[in-house]
Parts: sequence; C-alpha cells; structure tokens
Amino acid sequence: MKKAVFYFLTFAIILLEFVLFGWAVMIRAPLLSVASLVLGIAVIYIARMYVDEVIEDERTQKIQERTAMTTLQVTWVALLVFSVWMIIEGAGIRAPPEIRRLGIFGFGLLLTDIAMVVVFVLLSFYYRKQYGE
Amino acid sequence: MKNRLKVLRAMHDLTQEHLANDLGVTRQTILAIEKGKYDPSLELAFRISRYFHTTIEETFIYEAPDEIPP
Repeated sequence: MKKAVFYFLTFAIILLEFVLFGWAVMIRAPLLSVASLVLGIAVIYIARMYVDEVIEDERTQKIQERTAMTTLQVTWVALLVFSVWMIIEGAGIRAPPEIRRLGIFGFGLLLTDIAMVVVFVLLSFYYRKQYGE
Repeated sequence: MKNRLKVLRAMHDLTQEHLANDLGVTRQTILAIEKGKYDPSLELAFRISRYFHTTIEETFIYEAPDEIPP
C-alpha cells in the first residue's frame, strides 16, 4: 500500500468515526461509538503494517519522543494549576454546592496528575533497566 | 556535525528518495542530514558509510563545540 493511500484511509476512518459518534449520541448507544473507535484504531494499525514505504524511522521517533515529553510536562503543570485552583475554590466553608463540586473535580484532576507521575516514574525505572542501569 | 552525504549522493547519481528507500528511512531524514539539521544515530551513520563504501570519518566530520569557529 502506498503512503498516500494509507493517509487517505486514515482520514476516511476519522471522518466515519465522527459520523458514527454523532449517530451514537442521537440514538444514545455508547457501545456503538466505543466499538467503532476500537475497530477504527485496529484497521489503521493493520493498514499501517501493509504500507510499502517507510513512514517511521529514527528521526520521526526522536521527534515523537521530544513531542511526547513536552506534552507531558505541559499537561502536568496545567493539570496541577487547574486542580489546585479548583480545590482551593471548592474548599471554602461558605461555598455553594456547585463550587464544592468543583473542588471535588479538582481533587480528581490532582489524583490524575499524581497517577501520571507515578506511571512515568515506574516506566522510567523499566526503561533504565532495559538500557543497562 | 558536518557531512558529505550530498556529495556522495551526487557522485553515485542517486536521488534522496532512492537513497532513503535503500537505507530504510524517510526522504525527510536524508534531507535533514544533508542540511545538518539532524545527526543520525551511530547505526544509521555506519549504514550510510557502508552503503557508499567509505568510512564514518570520510562521511561525517565531527567538530567539538570548542573547535567550531565563532
């Protein structure tokens, strides 16, 4: 399969996913949307294996590594700032129930942020062992 | 790091696309190496050198930061 065909197929699948998502919302069928998402990702993954041309090499991997690390750092800081702000807003004794719920949501965000850090540290140990430490 | 990839490619009358296919990398990677924007891994550097039947030192010229003229 040519690279252009693969990209066209990926684009078509993404469009189809949007249509199916809209339809699933209309008929209130979350399973349809979830199943189509999993199937779509599987089709893209399999199609990628049949591409004749090189679409990923060491340079693209390096770009992805740096992009992923920067995205992670930005997400960590953004989540931390938002969660701390929400927790403090929601912790007020005279805060109305809606604002208190905001505090609970902020606490959930903070836990997500901490979970990300924990996963990062665990994976770091795993890769350090793989690369001889 | 400087390199003679463009010269070697011209000497062998190869296109970037052709060389990229033979080396199993993307054309953009060849372009980036030629422009000096990307330093290849040691493995790719060896593959490039062997492809042109040269040594790494003949293909890539390492300049330590203190050797680079201002």
